[in-house]
Amino acid sequence: MFELLWRAILDIAHWQYLLPLVIGTFVGIIGGALPGVTITMTVIIVLPFTFGLDPLQGLAAMTGVYVGGSAGGLISATLLGIPGTPSSIATTFDGHPMARKGEAGRALWLGVWASLFGGLIGGVFLIGATAPLAAIALEFGPWEFFSLFILALSMVAGLVGSSLLKGLLSGLIGMVVTVLGTDPVLGAPRLTLGLETIEGGIPFLPVLIGVFAFAQIMGEVERAGGAVKAGEAAARAMSLAASQVAVVWDILSRPFLLVWSSFVGLLIGVLPAIGGSAANMMAYDQAKKFSRRPEKFGSGIPEGVIASESANNANVGGSLVTIMAFGIPGDAVTAVMLGALTVHGIQSGPLFISQHSKIAYGIFAAYLVAHPIMVALVGLSARFMLRVVTVPKAALFPVVLVLCAIGAFALNNTMGNVYILLAFGVLGYAMVKCGIPLAPFILGVILGDQIEVNLIRAIMTDPNPWLFITHPISGLLLAASVASMAFALWQHHRMKRKLAETGGEEADF
Amino acid sequence: MPGRDAIAGLVVTAASLFLFWLTLGLERNPLVPIGPAFYPRIVLGITALFGLALCVRGWLARRAPRQPGAPLNYPAVAIQFAAFALYVLALPPLGFRIATFAYVAAANLLLSPPRRPAHWLRAAALGAATAAATYYAFEVYLLVLLPRGSWTDF
Repeated sequence: MFELLWRAILDIAHWQYLLPLVIGTFVGIIGGALPGVTITMTVIIVLPFTFGLDPLQGLAAMTGVYVGGSAGGLISATLLGIPGTPSSIATTFDGHPMARKGEAGRALWLGVWASLFGGLIGGVFLIGATAPLAAIALEFGPWEFFSLFILALSMVAGLVGSSLLKGLLSGLIGMVVTVLGTDPVLGAPRLTLGLETIEGGIPFLPVLIGVFAFAQIMGEVERAGGAVKAGEAAARAMSLAASQVAVVWDILSRPFLLVWSSFVGLLIGVLPAIGGSAANMMAYDQAKKFSRRPEKFGSGIPEGVIASESANNANVGGSLVTIMAFGIPGDAVTAVMLGALTVHGIQSGPLFISQHSKIAYGIFAAYLVAHPIMVALVGLSARFMLRVVTVPKAALFPVVLVLCAIGAFALNNTMGNVYILLAFGVLGYAMVKCGIPLAPFILGVILGDQIEVNLIRAIMTDPNPWLFITHPISGLLLAASVASMAFALWQHHRMKRKLAETGGEEADF
Repeated sequence: MPGRDAIAGLVVTAASLFLFWLTLGLERNPLVPIGPAFYPRIVLGITALFGLALCVRGWLARRAPRQPGAPLNYPAVAIQFAAFALYVLALPPLGFRIATFAYVAAANLLLSPPRRPAHWLRAAALGAATAAATYYAFEVYLLVLLPRGSWTDF
């Protein structure tokens, strides 16, 4: 394993892969730092550029975006007080107060180095856990895979958003998308609605790009403007100088905080489709609970920045594990990476690491190498980023939508995919306006075919439906699925009670 | 008046039932014991039930009071969707470069209405730069083909 990893690191260090990785990391930092532009949108923008590259070059660029974006959000969070991405919301709580107290450089570098250490802890888990988990998944039959995918969907439905019903409905709508167009077992047309475009099924990348890009951009458009420029002038005048040794010591002298926050980030990353937004908040909450001075959180203390930033970068490692071992995307960014793999004819899942070891270890290496690159790039360009983050959205959004259209068109050079992009853009926006979360929908679109194939395979092997429960792993996964929904219901009930006590708005179920 | 949940639930239920009805016309392959309608019917049936549950809950729930804050600009959203739809429709006849130039310039002007003549120039420059940069990056450098106009051959 270590020999393969070392060889992959040497490969990645070659300019052919290093250049896309550096560019990807840089673009990721910019995307992460831009308020209103998430990492998902940045990776969607980068996606069409990867079509003309070889698979590892493209994945190196996307890994760079993922790592850079996870760290980039802290620049605007710390210096402007506006989280660049949802994964840096908690960084704002202490990072910005530190900057206002004249410790802008210290706050920024604490975040950068915490991102590096958290990311490397995530990397150790990624490299160590992917192959054993894939080996376990190789033992799975259709019953186990069916139950695993149901577990993934139910967990996402329960953990995302404020309503279990809407979460489940969202996942089901995603599964409905997969029944349109073609029967994955026989490959025959089915429910095409008379549309030639979907006769071969609805490709998930235009759907993914459409729902996420439009939901986000139109969400910004409806708020017309936003307060992006607030504090810009003051931030430009801040000094970003800080003693790197002191900052690194600040972090390493709190080993429990670093490791525990990274662990929380990893765990959230492994859970499908939850992502860095939950990771940084949960790690911040944990850090506060374990702290000897919880009352100081929010006033500008290093612990808050370390917890949030180490968690959101460790989260990346966790998300990559699930996609590489099981073929289940950990979040929307890895869903796009999954799409990039399929564009190149590569199937992710348990066989990925053994059949495409060069690419798998290349991703590991790109992930590890992207972290020091991220530190160097932030160091070189933090002040420049402050100018970039104030780019007018009126200029940015049309360009992003053009890149989305190119990404959809370039999949197989047909306008059909661009029409799908637009249709699902409208659907995604409508879902957001109705409070229906997008993450379960996307997971439903990605897993729908696999759920059908494994269900049919299982029934054709043995029509006894009890086998889904009596096969030990399958039964355990289904029990976990029920437990996760019960947990979500309990959590929502608790939230409802709390809101009722404080006179707040009611939570949905 | 029904809330958004009730309407969303109703739309989902209606769409699911319509698709469920379409599955009744799917023919079974005699060689395969499970037909192509088996799985869609399960998914669509459950979706219709959940949609109905959302609809009922939406009807029964008291409407949440409107949140204070700045009003949301829905006309701007509708205009942006319309502009993108026109762009998508214009791509096959006009080709990527002309359609992209026109769309980016127009969308920029719609998002940030011009107050001075320089703003028109800025929008045109943004459109031209986007069309040129993406064309060269994709077609020339990355060898990714982009739509060519059937009317313009450009």
